[in-house]
Amino acid sequence: MSHYDLLITHIGTVLHHQYLLPLIFGTIAGVVGGALPGVTITMTVIMVLPFTFGLDPLQGLAAMIGVYVGGSAGGSITASLIGIPGTPSAIATTFDGYPMTRKGEPGRAVWVGVFSAFLGGTIGGWFLIELTGPLASLALKFGPWEFFSLYVFALSMVAGLVGKSVTRGLLSGAIGLVITVVGPDPIMGTQRLTMGLHFLEGGFPFLPVLIGLFAFAQLMPDIEKVRRGEADSVRAPVKMILKISKLAVLWEILSRPVLLIWSTLVGLLIGVLPAIGGSAANIMAYDQAKKFSRRPEKFGTGIPEGIIASESSNNANVAGSLIMIMAFGIPGDAVTAVMLGALTIHGIQPGPLFISQHPKIAYGIFASYLIALPLMVAVIWLGGRAWMRVITMPKSILVPIVLVLCVIGAYALGNTMNDVYVLFLFCVIGYAMVKGRIPLAPLILGVVLGDQIEANLIRAVSNNPDPWLFITRPISGGLIAASVLSIILALWQHRREAKRLAGTEDEEEDTDF
Amino acid sequence: MLSRSGIAGLVCLAISIWLLFLTRGLPPPIMVPIGPAFYPRVVLSFMALCSALLVVMDLVAFRRRRAVASTEQSATARKPAAARPNYSLVIATFVEFFVYILLLPGLGFRIATTVFVFALQITLEQPRSWKRWLLTVLVAIGTTVVCYIAFERYLLILLPRGDWTGM
Repeated sequence: MSHYDLLITHIGTVLHHQYLLPLIFGTIAGVVGGALPGVTITMTVIMVLPFTFGLDPLQGLAAMIGVYVGGSAGGSITASLIGIPGTPSAIATTFDGYPMTRKGEPGRAVWVGVFSAFLGGTIGGWFLIELTGPLASLALKFGPWEFFSLYVFALSMVAGLVGKSVTRGLLSGAIGLVITVVGPDPIMGTQRLTMGLHFLEGGFPFLPVLIGLFAFAQLMPDIEKVRRGEADSVRAPVKMILKISKLAVLWEILSRPVLLIWSTLVGLLIGVLPAIGGSAANIMAYDQAKKFSRRPEKFGTGIPEGIIASESSNNANVAGSLIMIMAFGIPGDAVTAVMLGALTIHGIQPGPLFISQHPKIAYGIFASYLIALPLMVAVIWLGGRAWMRVITMPKSILVPIVLVLCVIGAYALGNTMNDVYVLFLFCVIGYAMVKGRIPLAPLILGVVLGDQIEANLIRAVSNNPDPWLFITRPISGGLIAASVLSIILALWQHRREAKRLAGTEDEEEDTDF
Repeated sequence: MLSRSGIAGLVCLAISIWLLFLTRGLPPPIMVPIGPAFYPRVVLSFMALCSALLVVMDLVAFRRRRAVASTEQSATARKPAAARPNYSLVIATFVEFFVYILLLPGLGFRIATTVFVFALQITLEQPRSWKRWLLTVLVAIGTTVVCYIAFERYLLILLPRGDWTGM
């Protein structure tokens, strides 16, 4: 069976109600979660996670891909209508979406965003389908030296690029690696750093760690801002008329093909880079669109170019993240890190052998992604008014529900309270890190890659104890050199930024995931 | 003297040194060139190095800030204080969540969750009308019922049973 025959077969499979229902449910949850200010896509996928435990792997992944695609577009609704981005990945959409709404064109603002997300996602989907296989084949040529260096490169790049200090980024990555060291060692099973606690003898379970880190780290900064007696400030613009000719909006986007394709490529590239995520993609694409525009002075006044750049890159970013996790087993962002955790629960390890060993799931992911895009448009089209009412849900109702779902997610993994205690421990650590201005993304990547780094290190030195091989083998050496370069580049950028901001006030906490 | 970053660095430094101390008891390598202690020592040393660097950088930044502040003290007007974060609400949320987790095995999912969702809603926003009180009660019961039916009945995931209540 050819590549496209397999894809068409699996599109048929995913259209079966067994997979379509979780995909629809996930897309709706994604659109609502994405639209809710203060609730990120990561938080939404964590809330949906416990519902996927009782499902087969592809059903669970379909639901999560629905959340991912729906959430990426959902954030643009609030960004355009009320000027508050539903997710960090829709920040740049506010720059032109909200002014367009204020000019009396809310329908145009929303639908330029939605259709740009759809088209950017579709082009990104083509790259996902075409690039994942060849990249996985390339990764198959890697030995343990190359994998070790690749993971170190991923970690160094994230530590350098995320947050406002390279040292804090590196420290965060190191904490993530230390977390994976607790428990049995990969060769002899010797217990390490368990401090005599029996529940640590299997190591820290990945998903409770991840849920705990994100739960309080994302919710508490919002709770800090709540004043006694103050109602939530977000009010639904219920009287806005969103009706507009969809064909006219589509033509408006398609008549700017260079902008659409360029922004999509920017989003795709940022998605492939580990743990950077859509929050960087939309800003970079917006910046690029402004630089290359013939009328840069119009950006920020409510022109469609700004929305097209932001939203197309935003959804292409999803495809980029999926390429990285399927070909190399490295999560492109926190959402794919949760998906990786969900796969490992079912005994599936994403990486170079993923497509050949689990073709049903791999092609099911491609198919789910492609079907989720029109579903996202349909969900926003049919339920637009209802979602606008949902986003007025007060934080006082939302926060307890999110926390209960977090507890269920941790407990249901092994039907043990130990995982819930781990969850609480990492809730405290996550919030402490936010207050200490230490970024969370490198820690997450450290937790995801820690075991792999150690296993490949041991495999490499067991094959040949010569440590110079990490540098003298061309790919491995190149990746190590790239790691060093990425840190040097990040140091230079941070230094330049610090000089520019010298004398300004204290920096903000890093809660962007 | 130290800012939040510096304190975080100091805490991380203390933890990494303590964990490095714990690796002393690990056995030497047997089957492979590197033993179970090698990798933890490498990552813990790296963590200690980053933590120490963070503390030093924070101290240097503090000196610079102090020097700048003393020279510009008279020239610059004081900026208006930003709104203070509502830490009492954060602590209350942490405490209620902790108590919920502690009571979960004793009370069981259904009772503990209803009480937790009800209590946290009131903590975050005091209901001012009977309609809002009704909504608070309905959300507490509704969350528990929907979770119970969705997970126990449809997804066949067992939720915690209460040792004291049997529910």
